[in-house]
Amino acid sequence: MNSPLQSTVVAERRHSAPGESTAATNVLVVGVGGQGVIMISKVIALLCQQHRLQVKQSEVHGMAKRGGVVFSHVRFGEQVYSPTIPAGEADVVLALEWAEGLRWLKYLNPETGTFIVDTQQIVPPFACRNRKPGGLPGYDQLTVDQIRTRLPGILALDASGAATELGNPKAANTVLLGALSTALEFPAEGWQELIAGAVPARTVEINRQAFNMGREWALHPPTEAPRLDKSPPPASVQTLERSVHLEITDAWCKGCDICVKTCPERCLVLNAHQVVEITDPGACTGCRMCEWLCPDFAIRLHSSIPEPE
Amino acid sequence: MQGTEHSDFDIRDYLRTDLFPHFMCPGCGHGIALRALLWALHELDISMNNLALVSGIGCSGRTAAYVDTNTMHVTHGRPLAFATGLKLARPDLEVVVITGDGDCLAIGGNHLIHACRRNLDMTCVMLNNEVYGMTGGQVSPTTSNDRFTTTTPLGNHEPVFDACELATAAGASLVGREITLQTPSLKDLFKTALSHRGFSFVEVISDCTEIYGRKNDLGNSTEMILKQKSGIRPESYGNAVEHPFRPGDWKTGILTRVERPEYGDSYRQHIATKQRAVKTVTK
Ligand SMILES: Cc1ncc(C[n+]2csc(CCOP(=O)(O)OP(=O)(O)O)c2C)c(N)n1
Ligand code: SF4
Ligand code: SF4
Ligand code: SF4
Ligand SMILES: [Mg+2]
Repeated sequence: MNSPLQSTVVAERRHSAPGESTAATNVLVVGVGGQGVIMISKVIALLCQQHRLQVKQSEVHGMAKRGGVVFSHVRFGEQVYSPTIPAGEADVVLALEWAEGLRWLKYLNPETGTFIVDTQQIVPPFACRNRKPGGLPGYDQLTVDQIRTRLPGILALDASGAATELGNPKAANTVLLGALSTALEFPAEGWQELIAGAVPARTVEINRQAFNMGREWALHPPTEAPRLDKSPPPASVQTLERSVHLEITDAWCKGCDICVKTCPERCLVLNAHQVVEITDPGACTGCRMCEWLCPDFAIRLHSSIPEPE
Repeated sequence: MQGTEHSDFDIRDYLRTDLFPHFMCPGCGHGIALRALLWALHELDISMNNLALVSGIGCSGRTAAYVDTNTMHVTHGRPLAFATGLKLARPDLEVVVITGDGDCLAIGGNHLIHACRRNLDMTCVMLNNEVYGMTGGQVSPTTSNDRFTTTTPLGNHEPVFDACELATAAGASLVGREITLQTPSLKDLFKTALSHRGFSFVEVISDCTEIYGRKNDLGNSTEMILKQKSGIRPESYGNAVEHPFRPGDWKTGILTRVERPEYGDSYRQHIATKQRAVKTVTK
C-alpha cells in the first residue's frame, strides 16, 4: 500500500534513526462529545511548548455534538512530521469512556504503551438497536480484568465517580490528566499551572484536587480494579424471550408495499408475484407495524411473551 | 398469562372471510380505518350481535359489508337517517355509521347537521379521502385547493369544509380526528367515541391511492400514508414537515367533548310524559 500517510511514517522512521532520541511521543486522547477531550490535548500541547518541544495535534470533533465520538492525536518530540499517530504506535491511549477506549486500543503500542481509561460507560443510542424485548445493547461487554490479561499495566479508574465525589463530574478529565502526568516526564507543577488557566475560574480548586487525586491514584494504584459502572440488566429482562411468528395470507395481499417500506427492521419484501414475504424471521421484533398498516388484513402477528416475574 | 397470545385481537374473527380479498385498491386507507374500528369494538368487548353497522354508498360505505355483524348498506348520503330510525327503535343496539366525505358532507350534509343537532347516542365514522373514490374521482366538499379531480380539471377552487368544525357547530357532543397512519391512536379515539353517550363524530384521514393519489401525483401507497403526518398541526403532532401534503393543516385527537342531553333518552321521557297527560285528560 502506498498511501501518503504510510510514506510519511516511513520518512519519519528514517529520520529517527537508532541512537537518536528524536522519536516522537504519541498520546491519543479519546472520548465522547462534552467530556473534555480537546481540553486535555490542549493542556498537553501547551506543556510541550513550554518545554520547547515541537508538538502537533489533530482532532476530529465536528460530528460529535454531545455524546458523539471525539478523538485527538497529540505528538511531540524534537522533531515531529506527521500529525496523526499510526496504529500500534501510541505511547499512551487516554480514554474518557470505557468502550471508546477499547475501540481505539489497536492504536496502542502493544509492548510499551500505557492504557489509561475511565471506567465510566456511556451507552450511545446506536448501541440500543436491538429492539427485541430483553435484547442486549450492542455495547462492548469486555471487563477490566479481561483487558488486564492482555495489558497488565492498564490504569483503569473510576475518574467520573471520583470527580463527582469532589463535587463536579466535569472534572473527570482532570483526574485522568493527573494519571497521565505519571506516564509523561513533565514535572507536576507545570500541569497544575496550565490546568488552572484552562478551566473556568470558579472550578480551579476542584480541578487542582482532581489532578492530585488522579496522580496519586496512578502512582499507588489500588490492587482491586474498579467495577464497570453499568449494572447488568435485571434478571427478568435478561431471560425475557419472545417468540414471534408472522402469518401471511397470500391470497389477500395486494402488494401495496406499505408493510415492506414501514417495517422498522426491513425484514419484509415483495416476491416475484408481488406478494409479501418475510426475509429474516429472526429480525422481526414483533412491533406489529405491518399488521396495523396492512389495508388488506393479510398479516397476522402471533407473539407470546412470558409474563415477567 | 404465560405463553398466551400477546394481543388476542385477530381481525379475521370479525370478518365475512368468504368475501375476501376485499374490493379495495392496493394501499387504500379505508381498510386500515376498518381495522382500527374493529379493534376498538374488540377491546370494548362489544358483541357483534349487539352491533349495527349502517353505511352509505362509496368505497367507505362498502367496507361495512365485510364485517360479520348486523349491517345495513343503505342509499347514498342517508346512513345517518337510517341509523337514527334504527337507534330510536332499538336503543339497545350499538349503532355505528360508516360514511365517506362525499356521502356524509355532500349528498348527506343535511342528515349530518341534524344528526349532530339531535345528539342521539351513536358513532359516525367519516372516512375522508378528499374525493368521490367509488365513482372514479369527482371533487368532494373536502378536496384540497388546487387538487385535480375529474370534475376539477384545472384544480379545485372551492373553499374546503372542515368536517369537525361543522359537526361541532351543529351540536355533536364528541368530535375527533385521526390519521390512519396512527392506527393505535385511531383505535383509542374510536374507543372514546363508542363509549361516549351522545352523537360522536370521528373524521379519519384516509388515502384514495389509486384515483386521487395517482391523479395528483401524490406518490405510492407508502408515501401517501407517511405524508399524512405533514398535514397535521405541529401542536398536535410533533414534527411538522415543510411541504404539507394536505395544505389544510389538520388538528388531531379529541377536538370537542361536551355534555348535552342524549336525544333518545329525552325523547322517550317526553313521549311518556305526554302520553300520561293525554291519558289523564281522556279519563
Ligand atoms: C343518489 C346517488 N347519487 C349518486 C350516486 C353515485 N355515487 C356513488 S358513490 C358516490 C360518492 C362516494 O364518495 P365518498 O362518500 O367520498 O366515498 P369514497 O368512495 O370516496 O370512499 C357517488 C356520488 C349514488 N350511488 N346515488
Ligand atoms: S412485526 Fe412486522 S413491521 Fe414489525 S418487525 Fe416484524 S415484520 Fe417488521
Ligand atoms: S401491507 Fe398488506 S397488502 Fe400491502 S404489501 Fe403488505 S401484506 Fe401486502
Ligand atoms: S377508488 Fe380510492 S377510495 Fe376507492 S378503493 Fe380505490 S383507493 Fe380506495
Ligand atoms: Mg371520499
